[in-house]
Amino acid sequence: MTLSCSLVVELKNVLKRYHEIIAVDHVNLSIKAGEIFGLLGPNGSGKSTTLKMLLGLVKPESGSVNVLGIDVQEDPVAVKRLVGYVPESSRLYEFLTGIEYLDFIGDIYGMQTKEKKVRIGEYLKAFELEGREGDMISSYSEGMKQKIVLISAFLHKPKLLILDEPLSGLDPRSARIVKDFLHELKAQEVTTILSTHVLEIAQALCDRIGIMYHGKILALGTMEELRQMAMLPDSGLEDIFLKLTGTNDVRAIVEELLK
Amino acid sequence: MNWKNVVHLIRVDMKSGRLLRIRKLTKYHERKFFTYLAYGCALILGLTISILAGVFYSSASAIDPSLPSLIDQTILSLFLSMPTLVLIYSFIFTMFQQIQRTGIKFSFQAPYWLPITWEEHTLASVLANLLGFPLASIIFIATAILVFSFFIGQVVFAVLTVLAICAAAFMASTITEIFRILQTRFIGAVYRSTGRAAIWVRFIGSLLFFIVFYLIYFYMVSGPGTVAFIQTVASAHSIGWFIPFVWLGMVLYSFINGLFLQSFVFLVLSVLFISGLFYLATLLNRRFGLYEPPAITISRGVYAPKAGLLGRFGFSTVELALIRKDFKAFTRRRELMTIFIMPIVIILIPLMQSFGTTETATPQASLYLFALVFLLPASTMAISLGNFIIGEEGQAVWRIYSSPITAKSLVKSKYFFIVSFSTLVLLITGTIGSVFFHPTLRALQVAFLESFFLILALGSISLSNGIEGADFTEVPRARMIRPLWGLLNFAACFIAGLAILFPFLPYVLTFIVPFFATPFFDIYQAVIISAIITVGLTLTFYKIALINARELLTRAEI
Repeated sequence: MTLSCSLVVELKNVLKRYHEIIAVDHVNLSIKAGEIFGLLGPNGSGKSTTLKMLLGLVKPESGSVNVLGIDVQEDPVAVKRLVGYVPESSRLYEFLTGIEYLDFIGDIYGMQTKEKKVRIGEYLKAFELEGREGDMISSYSEGMKQKIVLISAFLHKPKLLILDEPLSGLDPRSARIVKDFLHELKAQEVTTILSTHVLEIAQALCDRIGIMYHGKILALGTMEELRQMAMLPDSGLEDIFLKLTGTNDVRAIVEELLK
Repeated sequence: MNWKNVVHLIRVDMKSGRLLRIRKLTKYHERKFFTYLAYGCALILGLTISILAGVFYSSASAIDPSLPSLIDQTILSLFLSMPTLVLIYSFIFTMFQQIQRTGIKFSFQAPYWLPITWEEHTLASVLANLLGFPLASIIFIATAILVFSFFIGQVVFAVLTVLAICAAAFMASTITEIFRILQTRFIGAVYRSTGRAAIWVRFIGSLLFFIVFYLIYFYMVSGPGTVAFIQTVASAHSIGWFIPFVWLGMVLYSFINGLFLQSFVFLVLSVLFISGLFYLATLLNRRFGLYEPPAITISRGVYAPKAGLLGRFGFSTVELALIRKDFKAFTRRRELMTIFIMPIVIILIPLMQSFGTTETATPQASLYLFALVFLLPASTMAISLGNFIIGEEGQAVWRIYSSPITAKSLVKSKYFFIVSFSTLVLLITGTIGSVFFHPTLRALQVAFLESFFLILALGSISLSNGIEGADFTEVPRARMIRPLWGLLNFAACFIAGLAILFPFLPYVLTFIVPFFATPFFDIYQAVIISAIITVGLTLTFYKIALINARELLTRAEI
């Protein structure tokens, strides 16, 4: 379980097909420790499948997936112990209260009672869930449920965070807390892989960005490197994204709709 | 009232049934033939029966000259009682329809943002409730009445009866709609709530429902009988004329007796009553149609992590967390509560049957009922829990997939839950059985041990099948197990149950067949053989469950 040259994630020639559809097409990707990596792409480009493969939730047809020095296929449970995961659409046990759910998560990750108690209290306070922790999750708003999902990803101090649309439904204050928190975690060598459609967030947060399209990594690099690839100096991520994915015919579509 | 809106809403309701029937939701192709098959069959059946009855009626005078007038009288009284009977059974079947569609109604909120009024919503809902079996039976009855009326020369009266039947069905469905809304508002709040009080309310409520249901059932079966019940309904019209629910019957009763003014008065009263019910349903829908139960607080700011007694018995924190979570699921989730109801229902049947007969019953009957009370509830509980305990995770199963939970921990915690809950049921039902049937100590020991063996083996078999056949679909309702796997599991458990109890076959035969030779081995020897079979089955299927769990966690496709 030793980390070679501080690589936290290493995908080598990974292929995943769903019947005739290729979801992930021979992807190679390396992510270093302490990096905030953005994985972007249009709907159905293979982002979520790639993220699930990192946790062993989807088995690749070929290639290898290494996370924190562990072969995911060989020991998925060991990987899961070290990872905090926020899925794209997260269903919770709605029959539990917020605090019962977090208690359950703490136990699953083998946290000590005292540590669990302290940390749950801190997170509930930070995300303004104090006073509602005893309510059934079924009564929570979508934003509150997302906060619970985020807390359950952070609670056990993971080494790698895999976050699929983590800020969805959050109020501005909580979103800011999450963003600042991720920056602070970076300083503690915690790696974050972030998938989002909100490109401003990716631009502001990520050290490197990978753009997926039709299951392949179309472009990979820092903001500056992506600008050079797209030959769009001084442009924002949105323009770069649209140009690189060949979906920059937006103006024409709008004009067609206005007719 | 925009009738087009009503029709559109009914169509949506009809299509919502697809989610209950169909698993393959992509490239879906509807075969209209099957949609209307039941109604077509009802029509053909109604026609066939009425024509056959008509032919018999036409030739009845040849058999006995007094027979046609006797048939006339019987048929007319049947026509008279029809609206009330249709009202009763339509109410029952529309209620069943509601139970069946609860998930859909819950998933698909009334599209309140569209230009549709609550009157239109209510009417569409009332009419849609009648789709399926209630409508098919109305078509069958109406066809039979109309066609047969040509043979007896009562066409006008038959037309009036058919109209009354339709009105009765509409009335029943409106009452169901009122119940549905009230349930959403009041009982729904209880179901979605939790805490000890709510659990007791649910438990006692369900228990009362089944007791009342069985009392009526046994009254019908072993009391005066169904025919007497129908005769009572038919003759009750003139006595209970002031009850609005029999006014439709009174319209027919007055009409056939030549009291046309009285018939007209009851007709107007019936229309007013049905309109009143519909208005009430609309009013309730407007008030509670979009009702969301309030947030239920179980504890406020109190954090009490439990170290757990089971920790001392070799359970890890992961396993304990899973057991605690499942306990909360099975005591708080409505659809899982039914599993607890099942043993109660099973135990009620023999107890009701034995009421007043325990002293006079034959030893064979007593033994049969005692075995039923002892063996069946706990093993049914084990089968049901094993079946559903993995699938109940629903779409929140991603948490199991993405957490560091091993196959061993998953199977161990789930199996422990199945065995401990089923044993609890065994203790309760065993106590009730012992109080009712006064078994010997020997019989009690054997029954307890065999029940426990069944729990161990059937729990293990069901768990392995429950993992393999788990269905995490939650919309429109939690499926939990694929139907085929449910059936396979039932068959496997049935065979395994017979295998475990097989060593007792000579004893059972001696008891049933008096001249059958007494077994050469002691009953406790049979228990030992049974235990060996149990151990074999339990260990084998526990290993299969482990393999299935490993595959489930590796496959882990959400």
